[in-house]
Amino acid sequence: MSAPIDPTEPLLRLRHVSTDIALRRGVVHALDDVNLEVRQGETLGIVGESGSGKTMTALSVMGLLPPGGDVVGGEILFEGRDLRSLPPAEVRRIRGVRMGMVFQDPLTSLNPTMRIGAQVAEPLRVHEGVGKAEARERAVEILRRVGMPRPDKIVDAYPHQLSGGMRQRVVIAMALVCSPRLLIADEPTTALDVTTQRQILELIDDLREEFKMAVVLVTHDLGVIASRADRVAVMYAGRVVESATTAELFRSPRHRYTEALMEALPGSASRENDSRGRLYSIPGLPPDLSRPMTGCRFAPRCRFASEACRTTDVTLSVGEHQHACLHPVERTLAPAPRPALAAPAAEPSEPAAEAILSIRGLVKDYEATGGGLRRASGRVSAVAGVSFDVRPGETFGLVGESGCGKSTVGRLVVGLEEPTGGQIVVDGADIATLDRRARRRMHRQVQLMFQDSYAAMNPRMRIDAILAEPLEIQRVDDPAARRSRIATLLDQVGLSRRVLERYPHEFSGGQLQRIGLARSLALRPRLIVGDEPVSALDVSIQAQVLNLMRDLQRELGLAYVFISHDLSVVDYMSDRIGVMYLGKLVEVGPAHDVVRAARHPYTQALIDAVPSADPGVRPRESIAIRGELPSAVNPPTGCRFRTRCPLAEEICESEPPLVGGAHQVACHFPLRG
Amino acid sequence: MARYLITRLGQALVIVVLVTMITFVILHLLPGGVARATLGKEATLEQLAAFNRDMGYDRPWAQQYVMYVERLLRGDLGYSFQLNQSVTEAIGQRLPKTMVLSLLSTLLAVVVAIPLGVVQAVRRNRWPDYAITALSLLAYATPIFFMGLMMIILFSQVWPVLPPEAPQGFTLGEVLADPAGLVLPTVTLAIVTIAVYSRYVRSSMVDNLNENYVRTARSKGLSEGRVVGLHTLRNGLFPVITLLGMYLPALFSGALVVESLFNFPGMGQLFWQAALKRDFPILFGVTLIVAVATVLGALLADLLYAAVDPRVRLRAGRA
Amino acid sequence: MTTSTQTTGAQGAPLDDEAPVRGLWRQGVEVFGENRLALVGLALFVLLGAVCFLGPLFYHTDQVHTDLAAVHLPPGTAGHPLGTDGVGYDQLGRLMLGGQTSIVVGLAAGILATFMGTVWGAIAGFAGGWVDAAMMRVVDAMMSIPSLFLFMLMATIVTPSVPMLILIIGAFAWLGPARLVRGEALSLRSREYVQAMRSMGGTGGRAVRRHIIPNAIGTVIVNATFQVADAILYVAYLSFLGLGVPPPAANWGGMLSDGLADTYSGHWWLLYPPGFAIILIVLAFNFMGDGLRDVFEVRLRRR
Repeated sequence: MSAPIDPTEPLLRLRHVSTDIALRRGVVHALDDVNLEVRQGETLGIVGESGSGKTMTALSVMGLLPPGGDVVGGEILFEGRDLRSLPPAEVRRIRGVRMGMVFQDPLTSLNPTMRIGAQVAEPLRVHEGVGKAEARERAVEILRRVGMPRPDKIVDAYPHQLSGGMRQRVVIAMALVCSPRLLIADEPTTALDVTTQRQILELIDDLREEFKMAVVLVTHDLGVIASRADRVAVMYAGRVVESATTAELFRSPRHRYTEALMEALPGSASRENDSRGRLYSIPGLPPDLSRPMTGCRFAPRCRFASEACRTTDVTLSVGEHQHACLHPVERTLAPAPRPALAAPAAEPSEPAAEAILSIRGLVKDYEATGGGLRRASGRVSAVAGVSFDVRPGETFGLVGESGCGKSTVGRLVVGLEEPTGGQIVVDGADIATLDRRARRRMHRQVQLMFQDSYAAMNPRMRIDAILAEPLEIQRVDDPAARRSRIATLLDQVGLSRRVLERYPHEFSGGQLQRIGLARSLALRPRLIVGDEPVSALDVSIQAQVLNLMRDLQRELGLAYVFISHDLSVVDYMSDRIGVMYLGKLVEVGPAHDVVRAARHPYTQALIDAVPSADPGVRPRESIAIRGELPSAVNPPTGCRFRTRCPLAEEICESEPPLVGGAHQVACHFPLRG
Repeated sequence: MARYLITRLGQALVIVVLVTMITFVILHLLPGGVARATLGKEATLEQLAAFNRDMGYDRPWAQQYVMYVERLLRGDLGYSFQLNQSVTEAIGQRLPKTMVLSLLSTLLAVVVAIPLGVVQAVRRNRWPDYAITALSLLAYATPIFFMGLMMIILFSQVWPVLPPEAPQGFTLGEVLADPAGLVLPTVTLAIVTIAVYSRYVRSSMVDNLNENYVRTARSKGLSEGRVVGLHTLRNGLFPVITLLGMYLPALFSGALVVESLFNFPGMGQLFWQAALKRDFPILFGVTLIVAVATVLGALLADLLYAAVDPRVRLRAGRA
Repeated sequence: MTTSTQTTGAQGAPLDDEAPVRGLWRQGVEVFGENRLALVGLALFVLLGAVCFLGPLFYHTDQVHTDLAAVHLPPGTAGHPLGTDGVGYDQLGRLMLGGQTSIVVGLAAGILATFMGTVWGAIAGFAGGWVDAAMMRVVDAMMSIPSLFLFMLMATIVTPSVPMLILIIGAFAWLGPARLVRGEALSLRSREYVQAMRSMGGTGGRAVRRHIIPNAIGTVIVNATFQVADAILYVAYLSFLGLGVPPPAANWGGMLSDGLADTYSGHWWLLYPPGFAIILIVLAFNFMGDGLRDVFEVRLRRR
């Protein structure tokens, strides 16, 4: 472990780095003249949307570019030496010992047939020639350090025996086993639930101090950056467009892209003035990186772009707060110029309107099969007695972590699955009592919107056939009337008629989500169930879709059941929110109350775990959930959260009822009132 | 694991029972029935009737099937009047030789195909990959007997180093005593197998090389050799074990042709000659035994796979 | 640079409107055309087919009556560019005739097997449950009897003729396609677009008609080409093993096995032409299958 040459010299410095990826059809210039530095012991956050080059930057440093990828220009200086000019064996050693990397998907990042211990200790064995017994000991030690329970047992386990969060701890342990100077974490928590995300981010923070290493945190999530990074670099279309300390960047972003990105974030919009203002949606799509470009790459989508922006190549300014913008933001970001603040969504007129959807004691169990045998080895209790109402024109948000049963509720409502018990009443009619014809007609009232619209569209059908399908199924209109209705739908979702002759694979994610929404609207339903409708989209595209959904709600008087794991999006969209945990609704109430005055300890923990896109708000030390989500096969009796709840007592073994007026909670020890 | 074992054994048993049903059905498709097929054209009507009475072929089908299975369970596969030998005995003499041929060529195929497939995967879409792919396709498109003949012409005529005929010994020991004679049949049978296996190894390795865990391994600064040889190879080869089982029917079909071409005294040749002479007891006996061997082979491969791959081993154990 | 400002709709519908609208059919043809091997396969198939089926119109030979005065004539003999065989048939004319049989039997048996397998697999896949289990155990059982043994067994029971050969091979080669289609049906059944359709109130029948069949058809067609290639080889094996179509009918496999006997007498023209003809036609179908696979995959590929 050699001491750094000069403590003032940055640990890692990228100078004019360009990376190309050769594909079958041309070359993608993934990185173009990227300049960055990472100082000793600091956390640098790299933030950007998909295709911005943030991951390519990390992979270029680690030499892990995909096939066809190559760093074609510039210098990557690590501890003063250019990795591009060193012999390959030496670079491998540096990467193995002095750097470590944590990847996005912990489920696939580990070798499935190699024991955990062998994988964690491998760098030691290869680079430091450590013996078998000692390597094992050090593997146990580092596993203990990353918070792995029973590490002496885990070393002999295989990856598939661990949960996602635990596997990510293993990957971190593996990256740290040689005590590196630099840890690169590429979306380390994107595949994890928020409560697990919080644990992992805290672990990385703690380890950074303990190991006195620098961290590069690559993420699309401004919230994660704001709460964890010392400095931030914002990337767009293969370039760094802005770089500053975290506080400075979030207080006064200079680049117009950074500004737009922050305004597109639902969390910030709803927190600042608490009204449901329209999100700023960046028009258009990021540029195609295989085409030559001149000028600022954001210019085509920028509100403030001038002729000069399109022709001049803008380079990063010098100094502590660098930006590459000809028309930078000149003031601190408080009330950003938000176009046309829309009126808050109509408050549900509570007593008058009769519920469009009414769910009572909904239960869904699945047979659990195991071991290749058809025999059931238990019952998975996916939904266990859920009740709520949705009134016309309102948005009911359903939030919870993966496996809580929120999607199952959605599928039950649209009739994709049969409930094991309970009632689903749509527009006054219990769907269990309907005959076949009436059931088919019921589908006109309730429609489903998917997370991945591409998967939800037949790849061999043209868009016109896709949009006509609901009308054909329900035998609505004649062909000519269908065509005009489809044309109206396209106008409503803001797409040109030309899309009709194309196939789903020709569209981007945001466009597909619009088409999916148009299809959901075709039958003029009164309720749309959106199952994570924007979770796969980038922030700027997400804002486009969310705005559209709200506009249409106002125009058409739609009701939404908005299902998402993302509390800030649900908060932004919903009038009322229901929080689910392991098949049960633990809290229901007006969105504002649930998010700002949570009564259930689980809700509070969920809120606390969401990283805020405001560096002033550091994670609070209030309720942190312990341990892992219990299995839904034989879930805990009574309150299902009690096994992880800091407030749990003996009485929690009996089931708490969902009580309260407008703001209900199912807890023996509610946090408020 | 125990549970998986029982399930898989049960499945194999069901398949064997179904196989006996299929052969039973085909048996009854025979023109003139089993009696005519067994006793031959010259048999008189009285002889046929007596045979049917003795063997129970005048009873209802269900009863006949039960009797058929009973005979099978006793190891009685019938009697070949043409060979003047019980079918069990005839097969007993030939089976070990066919096993030797199949095992040798499988072994050869595995030893050659794995490195080929790995080279293809590592150098994919470059000339070594294209060259091996082209040769595989060519091998696959060539009828085995044509391939065998080319081998004979090349290695027995043009460059006479190997005998063109397989060892003719009666016992297994005699066959093994003439290793030179085994070379051409084994290699001929192995060539197509190599083509199939190497393509499989290639695609399995390509899949694995694209997995995220390979990137993780590289991030540890491991050499390419260690990444491919230690991390990917093992995972890439696990599925090949099941392929060994799945490929057995094709292997036996190939052995039938190779044995006939090289005059190798195994099951295939026995079957072939029986087919030419319409010796039905032998034909049905061999078909049944080959099918059972296939089922057992596939079972063995699956169990081996379950035993070595921790994902299957531990998942099955936990359930 | 451009002076016209690039205006994208405020709602942001940045569909690249300059991109030409092309149907799936044209996209598919383009992809097939990009695969050089597939084109080679297609060319080979067309060429061999033309020679075998159109050749006899221009090149007349007697393939019925033996001519014992003109046996084993070497290639280049007047009137016999490829020589004659052991009973005096013109070898070139016989290759054309034999090719007809090989191609017809291969195509018909391959298509028959694919059809039967598709029906069986589709029923099993859609029905699910115990029906599926029972149907697939039958497939497992039949598959565990090596196909050549089954073909031989059947060929000893019925007298082989061209239609019989097609029936026999078709009757036992459908197992592979059945497994394939069943797997495909199971996976397509749970696709999100089928669920989306069901959430609109669509019926199972519509799911099959509009969604499952159009998406499974690619797999089936690709598999059919490989089935044809295999069937041509099986015909050759049966002929080699003495259970092919009896003369004067001919097929390449039969000619090749007859040629084996002539290896030692130096009549090479009886051996290599049918051998290479088989290799070429089998390669042709394999190449086309690979190309078609690309065609059907491209329709699913996202930009």
